[in-house]
Amino acid sequence: MRIKDLLRAEGIQLHAAPVDRDQAIDLLVSLQDKAGNLTDPEQYRRDILAREEQGSTAIGNGIAVPHAKSAAVRRPGLAAITVPAGVDYNAPDAQPSTLFFMIAAPKDGGDTHLEILSRMMVMLMDEEFCKALMEAGTAEEFLTCIDRQEREKYPEESGEILPPAQEEKKPQSYRVLAVTACPTGIAHTYMAAEALEKKGQELGIPVKAETQGSGGAKNVLTRAEIKAADAIIIAADKDVDLARFDGKRVLRVPVSEGIHRPEELIRTAPDAPVYHYTGEVAREEEGESFGRQLYKQLMNGVSHMLPFVIGGGILIALAFLLDDASIDYANFGTNTPVAAWFRNIGNAAFNVMLPILAAYIAMAIADRPGLMVGFVGGALAVSGATFAAPAGDSGSVSGFLGALIAGFVAGYLMLGLRTLCDKLPRALEGIKPVLIYPVVGLLLIGLFMCVINPFVGMLNSALYSGLSAMGSGSKILLGFVVAAMMAIDMGGPFNKAAYLFGTSTLATADIAAGGSDVMAAVMIGGMVPPIAIALATTFFKNRFTQEERKSGPVNYVMGLCFITEGAIPFAAADPWRVILSCALGSGVAGALSMLFGCASPAPHGGLFVFPVMHNVLGYVAALAIGSLVGMILLAVLKKKKS
Amino acid sequence: MVSAKTKIVNPMGMHMRPAQLFVKAVTPFPCHVTLVFNGKEINGKSIMNLMAACIKQGAEIEIRCDGDQEAECLQAAVDLVDSGLGE
Repeated sequence: MRIKDLLRAEGIQLHAAPVDRDQAIDLLVSLQDKAGNLTDPEQYRRDILAREEQGSTAIGNGIAVPHAKSAAVRRPGLAAITVPAGVDYNAPDAQPSTLFFMIAAPKDGGDTHLEILSRMMVMLMDEEFCKALMEAGTAEEFLTCIDRQEREKYPEESGEILPPAQEEKKPQSYRVLAVTACPTGIAHTYMAAEALEKKGQELGIPVKAETQGSGGAKNVLTRAEIKAADAIIIAADKDVDLARFDGKRVLRVPVSEGIHRPEELIRTAPDAPVYHYTGEVAREEEGESFGRQLYKQLMNGVSHMLPFVIGGGILIALAFLLDDASIDYANFGTNTPVAAWFRNIGNAAFNVMLPILAAYIAMAIADRPGLMVGFVGGALAVSGATFAAPAGDSGSVSGFLGALIAGFVAGYLMLGLRTLCDKLPRALEGIKPVLIYPVVGLLLIGLFMCVINPFVGMLNSALYSGLSAMGSGSKILLGFVVAAMMAIDMGGPFNKAAYLFGTSTLATADIAAGGSDVMAAVMIGGMVPPIAIALATTFFKNRFTQEERKSGPVNYVMGLCFITEGAIPFAAADPWRVILSCALGSGVAGALSMLFGCASPAPHGGLFVFPVMHNVLGYVAALAIGSLVGMILLAVLKKKKS
Repeated sequence: MVSAKTKIVNPMGMHMRPAQLFVKAVTPFPCHVTLVFNGKEINGKSIMNLMAACIKQGAEIEIRCDGDQEAECLQAAVDLVDSGLGE
């Protein structure tokens, strides 16, 4: 028994002006009659008045519900009037009554009367709803309000199939639809749905929100509603089936946006791009190839990492610019207080760059529970923690490749953990996100990283001793190898081994004669990757995404300052092609640097230590050639983006 | 807090008149009055809330009174329900 089925447009009169109780009753009885609910209006009116004599049917808050079980009733029905000026109806709170619902119930109607009454009260307890009813300008608007409220309060019914005739009579036209979902499905899902619907009501844009909570989907959107809607808002932190929204404008945001920015979402949703469903399977995730999924997860990490790289990189470059290399070559970049300040602030961003990468990869896989586990996994890749050295070991630092692995492992670990936890009793639902996921996830990622980091450490030592053995062999080959190693993992074991080897040669080199040739090759190996990438984004734009193209020019600066990290977002997004191109470009530059007899007295600083280097012209030429080689390889290897 | 369990005996259940009577009977007491029905807690001093709960004949309810004069209030409420809420 739904209110919207009991009340017809003919039974509604808005902005009525009866002067007293009896006039109001007369009006309502005539409306009941018009709606065809009565057999004998006069008898019904007498029954209503008799009921009023037993006590007023006004219930306070401006609401009155005159009613009677009467033999003069043909079928259960409602009539409604709004009286803006109010009528004295002897209400318990002594306030004039403004909103009237008159109930007609058959004499032998059993519990029908009680059910109608109960349902009306559930709906009318909401003051916003009463206000909306009072403000309705037409009977249709009034009915729309009622229907919406009824769906909200009795969402389990809205999945019912309505008889087609009725649907035609009162077509639902929600302009904006929404689906809300959060990983746990207890609170945020419903908060977002409520915020969106409430805000929609305020804005005069009807919104219906389907909740996909832990108890299954409620207030499900019908096909007709989807067809009629202007736009769909998906406020979800988990995967939502989008197949049914094919061809609609779909705005996808985290569930928190639905709670905090409902107005903006409702206003911008109609401008969202049209969504095209491509997969055959119901779930988008399953419809995509695994490789495509991995790429999307990877890019989620890379795009979040990018600001850290750019901000940190530019500040570190400024540190070199503002420093004086001649004070102490070994500490170039932190010699003066101003330079040290820039350097340290920049480093603060660089220090969390890889944890952020891992965190957002994991989050793309396992939603919120993955974030922390991925972040810590990335942090452990940076610290090089092992069981033997839990605080970290610089030899076991696995760099950005380690962070990539940590991100994916963390994500799939948490996905597995969630599946496992589905078997737990429902009562534990609430403690999963606050206790089980964080604690178990952290333990697991800690164990995993401490198991793999020692292998990284072994690789690092092996590479270092390999380089030491090569030291006496061909200079040009050594230059190629150390420079290429700088570009292979940009902070991982290869890079660290090469850099350490380079700095060790400084100790025995003749600083007055220009320094170490190996150091120069190492430095050029770290400068080529960002420059090669910057050149490629300038001359081969179609190999890069919009975001990559925009951040490309910054890489000129970072490359010239020997800040290899600028290349990491590009390498992370497309590891094999970018690393191969950069490593070969770097190798060529390193070999040429050796060939030209270039040498450096400082372990870092890039462009800013050029003045004190030996054979600067040769060095610049080597850098240019190496970078061009890298750029050409990138252009050849990388696929064109559509 | 004091509480008692009882049953709705009047044939029409907690419709408007019984709800009005109930609220009128308990409002003079300063204590909080709560009806527990079907696992839900209902404000016993609100006509709307009582009606919204849709309590039918034969339904088992628990009445809880908490605060000053709770014992007297509970007694009055239970007596009223047991007497058929004026029907």
